[in-house]
Amino acid sequence: MSLAADSTGRRFKVTCDVGGTFTDVVVTDDAGATAIGKSLTTPGGLVVGLTAAIEAAAADLDLDAGTVLAGCDLFVYATTQATNAVLVGNTARTALLCTEGFPDVLVRREGGSLRPYDFSASPPPPYVPRRLTFELPERIGAAGEVVVPLDEEAATAIVRGLARRGVEAVAVSLLWSIVNPAHELRVGELIARELPGVPFTLSHQLNPIVREYRRTSCAAIDASLKPIMQAHLREVATGLRELGFAGELLAANSLGGVIPMADLEARPVYAVRSGPSLAPVAGRAYGEAVLGSADVIVCDTGGTSFDVSLVRTGEVVTTRETWLGEPFAGHLTGLSSVDARSVGAGGGSIAWIDSGGLLRVGPQSAGADPGPACYGNGGSEATVTDAAVVLGYLDPDRFLGGRMDLDAEAAERAVGAIAAQTGSDVPATAAAILTIVNEHMVAAIKEITINQGVDPRDSALVAGGGAAGLGIAAIARELGCRSVLLPRTAGALSAFGAQHADIVTEVGRSLLTDSGDFDFAAVNAILAELDADLAATAGTLRDGGLEIAPVQHFVEARYAHQVWELGLPLAGDRFDDEADLERLVADFHAAHERIFAVTDPGQRVEAVHWKGRLIARPRKPGLAGPTPPPPAPPRRRRAHFGDGAVEVEVHEGGSLERGARLAGPLLITEPTTTIVVPPEATLHVTDQGDYLLEVA
Amino acid sequence: MAGAPELDGTLLAVLANRFEAIVREMTNTLFRTGRSAVLNMARDFSCSIVSADDQLLAAAEGLQVHVLGAGLQTASMRELHPDLARGDAFLHNDPYLGNTHTADFTLLVPVFHAGEHVFTACAKAHQADCGNAAPSTYMPYAADLYEEGGLNFPCVQIQRDYRDIDDIVRMCRRRIRVADMWYGDYLAMVGAGRIGERRIGETIERYGAATIKAFVERWLDYSEQRAQAALRELPTCELRGSSPHDPMPGHPDGIPVQVGLSIDGEEGRVVVDLTDNVDCLDNGLNLSRCSAMAGSVIGIFNCLDPDLPHNAGSFRRIEVRIRQGSAIGGLEFPHSASVATTNLSNRLINSVQAAVAAVGDGHGLAEGAGAMGVGYSVFSGNDRRNGSPYVNQMVIGNNGGPASATADGWVTYAMPDCAKTVYIDSVEVLEQRYPLRIRSLRLLPDSGGAGRHRGGPAGEMVYGPVADPLQAFYFADFAHNPPQGVRGGAPGGAARAAKIEADGSAVPRPAIGDVELVPGEWVLGVESGGGGYGDPLERDPELVLDDLLEGWISAAAARDVYGVEWVGTVEDDSLEVVGEATKTRRERLREGLEKK
Repeated sequence: MSLAADSTGRRFKVTCDVGGTFTDVVVTDDAGATAIGKSLTTPGGLVVGLTAAIEAAAADLDLDAGTVLAGCDLFVYATTQATNAVLVGNTARTALLCTEGFPDVLVRREGGSLRPYDFSASPPPPYVPRRLTFELPERIGAAGEVVVPLDEEAATAIVRGLARRGVEAVAVSLLWSIVNPAHELRVGELIARELPGVPFTLSHQLNPIVREYRRTSCAAIDASLKPIMQAHLREVATGLRELGFAGELLAANSLGGVIPMADLEARPVYAVRSGPSLAPVAGRAYGEAVLGSADVIVCDTGGTSFDVSLVRTGEVVTTRETWLGEPFAGHLTGLSSVDARSVGAGGGSIAWIDSGGLLRVGPQSAGADPGPACYGNGGSEATVTDAAVVLGYLDPDRFLGGRMDLDAEAAERAVGAIAAQTGSDVPATAAAILTIVNEHMVAAIKEITINQGVDPRDSALVAGGGAAGLGIAAIARELGCRSVLLPRTAGALSAFGAQHADIVTEVGRSLLTDSGDFDFAAVNAILAELDADLAATAGTLRDGGLEIAPVQHFVEARYAHQVWELGLPLAGDRFDDEADLERLVADFHAAHERIFAVTDPGQRVEAVHWKGRLIARPRKPGLAGPTPPPPAPPRRRRAHFGDGAVEVEVHEGGSLERGARLAGPLLITEPTTTIVVPPEATLHVTDQGDYLLEVA
Repeated sequence: MAGAPELDGTLLAVLANRFEAIVREMTNTLFRTGRSAVLNMARDFSCSIVSADDQLLAAAEGLQVHVLGAGLQTASMRELHPDLARGDAFLHNDPYLGNTHTADFTLLVPVFHAGEHVFTACAKAHQADCGNAAPSTYMPYAADLYEEGGLNFPCVQIQRDYRDIDDIVRMCRRRIRVADMWYGDYLAMVGAGRIGERRIGETIERYGAATIKAFVERWLDYSEQRAQAALRELPTCELRGSSPHDPMPGHPDGIPVQVGLSIDGEEGRVVVDLTDNVDCLDNGLNLSRCSAMAGSVIGIFNCLDPDLPHNAGSFRRIEVRIRQGSAIGGLEFPHSASVATTNLSNRLINSVQAAVAAVGDGHGLAEGAGAMGVGYSVFSGNDRRNGSPYVNQMVIGNNGGPASATADGWVTYAMPDCAKTVYIDSVEVLEQRYPLRIRSLRLLPDSGGAGRHRGGPAGEMVYGPVADPLQAFYFADFAHNPPQGVRGGAPGGAARAAKIEADGSAVPRPAIGDVELVPGEWVLGVESGGGGYGDPLERDPELVLDDLLEGWISAAAARDVYGVEWVGTVEDDSLEVVGEATKTRRERLREGLEKK
């Protein structure tokens, strides 16, 4: 890879977060500059919005998008596209091919429910309906033996039938394909031959785990995303290359890390739940550096959704079992992810009156197109953003740093239409819209804290996202938190998190051996294979100028007869002698005692799966945020707080002195977000220039 | 610390959820570390936290029949061991002293703070084997405890100062089949109890003992108020319910379970009267006090706001009357309660929830399916791969859930006593760990009881040995008396069993029985479907066609039972309701002009 550079020789790292409403971009350079760009997402052609956001960020550095991209050696792409597609059912029409006799794997899942006494709702439908599930005459046994050979004639007829049913993607998940993949591979060939161009996923290639439900579910979700995500990712990659980008193209995964974009294209299930995974990476950094807290609640308020995640004792909280929807009733991805709650609440959330005459907000969003009424793109429904305009919080002439004009009259009209139905006045209705959307956000935060026995008052609160500043003071107060931090990068918190994410590549091999009869040679051979696999990746990344940490090795092990493994790091790179084995066994007992409170000292330890992990740490920017503008005297505007409108000071972001304390009410405008400091709250500008809102 | 901090609404909710979270962590510990499939896949175990005065505080998503009686067991622990100390643990499986049945081993860990017994962490797990006379944890035909033959531990100390008392462990290792597996399961229970102890200790350290004590009282009072408010939404009335168990030897007409309900809608209280039932039976079906109490409470809770806390506070609004010497809860030594968590328990729960449906549309539930059939069999044999014997219960069958006034029956319902809580085994993990093969496992069309809301479907399963003989025991009630619908809903499909001979012929077998198989032979079992709720002719025709497309019902049922007329074909997804014809057909079916 060539090290591109602009005329000044600067090198850039660009990260983006393409949400339902806004596309956020953060550009940093190797001299320490940070710039944020925000633009409306353009669903018809994503590269248009993406380019506009890059252009906006580049402008802050007195450059243009082409120069930044030409000088960019690392681009990280993150999108909520995959998650949204699954949640709204906008995925491909997907068929499932399974082993004859076992058509109900996705219907039954793994049993259980969070609501044992609740009979008020019908059982959830399977990810692939039964009408698109087809049984193939074949069976492999547990040891890989062919019990029933694949009936190719029958299989071919079934595959041909899929075309007539308008099937756009196919998942193949056969029993024991992880031990003997011959039948799955053959069915893959039949699909390629009979249905050219129809993408498919073979379960053993995607996620070779025992337990048919989670493997099948993973394969089904993956296949259903292939048409939409592959087209999407190719469009982005092509678009960026055409703009002159020649660096390393990476994408966010669901664990708050980044992986090569080509890997994501091959396995789009890794993009599911990747949207909210990066905000906590930024939240953790700010929590530690600015607030000195290892426990952080991270809120990300965009145009479409509100995502909340946790950092506890310095680690982003993750879950091994990722459910789309409610646990046991939704769909298991079979992969680990950042534990986040998402609700449909944001700047674009639409206000409406329900059949009982009550005011409701969301979960429907005006998105980017048409967007809120005040965007003037043809939207007529009142949104949270319109309410903020009505209340005077958003300055119609200075939205997105003045790059976008808002139509205040349209906002008045839209909110007025709601007010006419509730019989209250327009400002009161606008305030009610904000109160209700705040309630949804409070509920989501409570769900991930109080519902898990965590007191939100014990954690620091970090908020980001373009719409974060509108209501976060009220939310913090409702939760009983004393303060909330809005970093200067708040407007693009997820994209900024991507700047702080590591590139994690993991490879694994299965080999069952136990401590009673440990196969030193085979284990060492596998560890060598893992190292060889990672060496190629390491080479590419090193050529790109990245710092590479030594490969870490892990084993997943258990006591004999157990079926769930514990993961633990290996002390060394190879097993040279009995002492190395004894060390592994001792480490396993210790881990088992720490996590499960007991050990079984005489018992054999079975090692099942071996992993190598390569971590590349890209250059990470400081937390300072964009260069502040020159100091300017505050302007004044009328804004509504409580019963009436008052004239308040409006400060330009970054123009306040570090260490300053100002009592609300007042407004702060950053180019990508606006912070509302209500009465009885105090704004404290930290030594780094971030905003600490003190509400108690 | 100086004085207890204010216990505001937020802290009340935080602490209630903290204790639930501790129970979930205990549960995860047992699930991840258990050795037998009944624990590490099916999760046929439950954890709970009980206060020092024997009130169930938190049980997360524990099996209902396991957890709702936990206070009875801690009461016996305090009575029999007044000298409780930190580091103790007790093994309790005695159905005469508050346990469910012999196969459920319960580990009780008293938790101390500053020298005072403050809570008990409980872990109750169905054992793969409990040393019964036959390799099965269910002995429906046992005349008494002696014929059951399992080890009985009437709350016996098994740990002192955090160390095993080897005498007790040795007894178990001698008598329980596949001793290493058992010991691993026992360790998993100890781990769950000790994790609970650690986390409770941390919580008390964090908030102070006074706050925690105040919390327990406040939370249980709050829970009682919630239950009272829920019961006040019901009218004052007297109801009766009955659900007969299938015939058993000596009981050719089956075994009736009779329930009387007195709902006091003004006071917000209900009495469940179980006194009008037969005397203790000379078989293993008798209900322990714990099972009968739990069964009554489950039936009531199933009909109330599901958001209620389910703990000793909400129990206070439910009084259960039991007659000493009765088969339904009045268990007397040495009568056997070997299958007290399932068969009559399931009938009791069904009697209560179906009786409540008589209050009116919108109330109560149909009967849920509860066949302990082939899909739940206890199987045993020898595994030539390692030369060892094996015995375990599989939990992979499918009983359909009851329909309600607003919803169709749940698919993976399991059965009334542990509705929607147990997990289901993985076909692959079962085949990996035991020398057997599952030939098919599918849900059956037309097996859910028809209704405005349809009962959940039954599953059919076929399995057999791969190398050496295998013995299977199963206990399927609901073959003669399938789960009934309510308010015009139809019954669900009946359970059955058959042996498939080497020549492929299927020979019907009793649904309660056992079978020995050699490779080439298979056992086939069908569990039962849930009962329907309301008249099938009132079901939304669009839902009927969706059921047809998804294969939940046949075309014949769509027409003749649900009275829907349509055009289009299933194959190309083109079904459309013909409104007028459907209306006419439904009228004719209502008037009996066409056969239903």
